[in-house]
Amino acid sequence: MRGLVDLLGPSKVLGARADLVVYEYDGAVDTATPDAVVLPESTADVSALARFCHEHAVPIVPRGAGTGLSGGAIPVEGGVVVSFARMARIIEIDAANLRAVVQPGVINLHLSTAAAPYGLHFVPDPSSQKACTLGGNVAENSGGPHTLAYGVTTNHVTGLEIVLSDGEVVRLGGKAVEDEGYDLVGTFVGSEGTLGLVTEITVRLVPLPEDKRTLMAAFETMDAASETVSAIIAAGIVPGAIEMMDQLATEAVEAAVHAGYPLDAGAILLVEVDGPRDGLDDLRQRIESICREHGARSIRIAATTLERERLWAGRKGAFAAMGRLSPDYYVQDGVIPRTRLPEILRVVREAGERHHLRIANVFHAGDGNLHPLILFDLRDGPEELERAKAAGLEILTACVEAGGSLTGEHGIGMEKNCYMPLQFAAQDLAAMRRVKDAFDPAGLMNPGKVFPTPSRCREFALAAAR
Amino acid sequence: MTAIGIRAAPTDAAECARILADASRDRRTVRVVGGMTKSYIGDAGDIDTEVHTSELTGIVDHVPADLTVTVAGGTRIADLADALARAGQFLPLDPPHAEHATIGGVIASNSNGFWRARYGGVRDLLIGTRIALPDGTVVRSGGRVVKNVAGYDLNKLITGSFGTLGVIVEATLKVLPLPTASDGVVARFARGTDAFATAGAIARAASRPETVVVERTARDDWRLIATARGAPAAVARATADARREINARGGNAAIGGDELAELRELPAHATDGALVRVALPIAAQSAFADTAARLEGFATLVADAASGVLRVHVRGDDDAVTRAAEALLLAARVVGGGGRVERRAEHLRARLVASPTRTNGEQLMRRIKGAFDPAGILEPGRSP
Repeated sequence: MRGLVDLLGPSKVLGARADLVVYEYDGAVDTATPDAVVLPESTADVSALARFCHEHAVPIVPRGAGTGLSGGAIPVEGGVVVSFARMARIIEIDAANLRAVVQPGVINLHLSTAAAPYGLHFVPDPSSQKACTLGGNVAENSGGPHTLAYGVTTNHVTGLEIVLSDGEVVRLGGKAVEDEGYDLVGTFVGSEGTLGLVTEITVRLVPLPEDKRTLMAAFETMDAASETVSAIIAAGIVPGAIEMMDQLATEAVEAAVHAGYPLDAGAILLVEVDGPRDGLDDLRQRIESICREHGARSIRIAATTLERERLWAGRKGAFAAMGRLSPDYYVQDGVIPRTRLPEILRVVREAGERHHLRIANVFHAGDGNLHPLILFDLRDGPEELERAKAAGLEILTACVEAGGSLTGEHGIGMEKNCYMPLQFAAQDLAAMRRVKDAFDPAGLMNPGKVFPTPSRCREFALAAAR
Repeated sequence: MTAIGIRAAPTDAAECARILADASRDRRTVRVVGGMTKSYIGDAGDIDTEVHTSELTGIVDHVPADLTVTVAGGTRIADLADALARAGQFLPLDPPHAEHATIGGVIASNSNGFWRARYGGVRDLLIGTRIALPDGTVVRSGGRVVKNVAGYDLNKLITGSFGTLGVIVEATLKVLPLPTASDGVVARFARGTDAFATAGAIARAASRPETVVVERTARDDWRLIATARGAPAAVARATADARREINARGGNAAIGGDELAELRELPAHATDGALVRVALPIAAQSAFADTAARLEGFATLVADAASGVLRVHVRGDDDAVTRAAEALLLAARVVGGGGRVERRAEHLRARLVASPTRTNGEQLMRRIKGAFDPAGILEPGRSP
C-alpha cells in the first residue's frame, strides 16, 4: 500500500476500508474485497503499477464500470483493482478512416454520441451501454441486440495498446483492417483481463443506417415465437436485431418502463431491420406476414422514432426491471444454434419448476443467445443462491449439449470458470493456457478467472463426478 | 534445398496430430499443404515433411436455418460454394485462387477478397475450428454458434498463422442467404484522388455496396468498379448511388461486366517481379496509390478501396523491383499501415524477404509460437 502511494501519489490510490468496499462487487453475484484500488491517469501509470505488482507478485484486476455479469472485475484472489475511471478520454474521432481512438474508461454510449455528428456509430450496444466502458467491452467481447447483423466487439476493434503484467507496453494493430503477423488484437479481445491491461483502443465506426423499421409481435407461446425466428432467418432475412421476451419479463418491464408491451402474451418478439430506405418496407411486410403465419396475435409497428425508442427502452431496461419481481436474480448467458430454441426453452422452464424458482426470459433470439433470469430472494437464506446456481447449471449443460456455448457475451469470469470442462476438453483448455502463459507468464493478470482453479472448482468437479 | 522426405495425407484429425507429434519428436520440419495455390507466400525454408489435407474433405454439418456450415479443412472453397448454393446460401468470402484453394488454406493465410467491408473477413466469418497441434492433441475453439465468448478466441490466432501453429482440420463459418439481384458500375477517372474519393463515398453510402475496387494499370487512367448484391430495390438504389457519386467527380460511368474476377486473381498472375500487399487506413490509400504509380517498374495496382487493402505489382530489372517493393512497404508504415511482399519471382526470393519490416508485438508472437510448437517444426520460414 505504502509502496503504491510512493509510486503513484496519494490521489491515485485508495486503501481505506470504506473506499475498498465500493469495489468488492460488480453486476454479478460474487464479491471479494481488493487490497488496494488504483486509479491510473496514463499508460505510464499503468505500466509503473504493473511493474510494481510484478516485482511484489501482486494480482492485478482491471475494472471498467463494474457492470460485468460474470464477476470479471472481482479480486477473488486479492490484489490491486485497477479502475480506468480517469482514463476516459476520446482521443480522436477519425471520420475519414472510420475509426475512433479511445481510452479504456470511455463509456460505450458516449462514443456513439460523439460519432453521431459524423453520421457514424459504434455498433456493439450492450444493454448497459449508458454505463459500461469500452475497456470492459474489449475485455468481455461484449455484444448487444444489434450485433446479429453487424458483429460483436471483436469485429469492431482494429488496434490496442496493452500493458503486460511485467509493465511492458505493446501496441497491436492500428487503423488498418489488419496487421502483419498473428492476430493478437483478435486474440486479446474477450480475454477478460487475464492477458493484460488495455490502455488504448482503436475501434471501427460504422455509418448509421439510413432508416429502420421496428416491429413488435405478440404470440400465444414461446414455441410459436421461436419458430417465427427460424422462419424469418430461413426466408433469407437477417434483421439487425431479433429479441424475445416471455410473459414474466414483459410483466416486469411494463411495470417499470411502460413500453407498451401486451401483458397477456406468452411471448413477444422485437424485430428491427435497417439499411437503405429502399426495400425496407417490403422487408417489414415480409416479416409481418411470417409473424402472422406463425400465429402472431397482434403486431405493432413503431411509426415514429419515439415509439421505436420506447419499444427498445423496454428491452434494454429489462434486467433492471427484474427488481419489480424479485429482490435478486441470477442471469445466464448460454448460446445455442437458433434452430434449437424451442427445446432449450423447455429445458429452462423445467429447470425452474424442478427448483421451485421463477425464471424470466429476455434474450437475443436471432443469434440463439439466451438470458434466463433466475429469480430468488437471498432474505430466505444463502441456499437460495445455490438453488439458483443449480438451475443455471442445468440450463448451461443443456446449451452445451445442444452444440452451444456457456456464454455469448457476459464472459466466463469467476462465475462459470468451474464449468469450462463442460464445453472444453483438457487439451482445449491447455491450448488456451499456452496463450495465457505467453502473455502473462507470472500469472498475475486477473487470476481465478476463465480457467478452472483447483481450489474453487474442486466441489464442482466432485459434484459432476457424482 | 533438401528434397521433401515424407508426404503424408492423413484421413482424420487424430492421424494428422500424430504425424505432427512424430515430426516434433524427430525434429522434422513440416509444411501444411491444401490446394497448393499460395506456396509463393513467405520465406519457405527447408521442409522435411508435407502434410496434405487432401483426405480431410467434405461438409461435416450444415443446418441452413442456423446460417452456419462446418467443413473439413481440406475442402475446396469451390466445392463448399456448390453445396451451399444448393441450399440457397453462400459463404460471403471471395478469396483469390477460389477454384483450387481449400478452406483451411484460406483461413491459414487470411486470404480475403473484395467483400470484406460488406460481410467481414475470414476472422469475422470463422466461428469454430478444430486444430491439430505439434504435441499430438486436437483442440477445439469456438463452436457452431454465432456468438460465443467462452475462453480465448483461438480462431483469431489461427487465422493468418500460415501453418506455423497447427493444422486446421475443421472449420465452422457463418453463411448467408444467396442474394436475389446483382448489378455493377464501372467508371474511369483521370486522377487517382478522384477515383479514391468516389470509392470512399460509395463505400460508406447507406446503400451498402458489395465491392468497391480501384484499379490502376500502366495506362494513364484509374478505373473504379462498384457492385451490389441483395434485394432488387436495394441493388437498384446502390448502383444509382454509385453513379451519382461517379458523376459528381467527373467520372465516366458505364455498366459493369465481370472485371472483378480478373482483378481478384492478380496474385495468381503476378509471377514476375514482385507483388506487394499492404493494408492501410482507408483515407491513406489515395496518396499511397499515387506514390506507387510513379515508381519505376510500376505495373498494376488493385485496391479493395472499402477495406484499404492494396496490391501493387512491380516488374522490370531486379534492382528497380527491389527498390520499389521496399519503398512501398516503407510508405505503408509511414501512414500507419503495414504489408509484405506477397509474391516475387523465384530468383528474387533470396534477395527480397517477404516481411522486411518489424511487426508490432513480435516478442509476444514468438512466445506464442514457442508455446504451441516448442520444437519449431511448423513452417520455420514463415514463423515470427
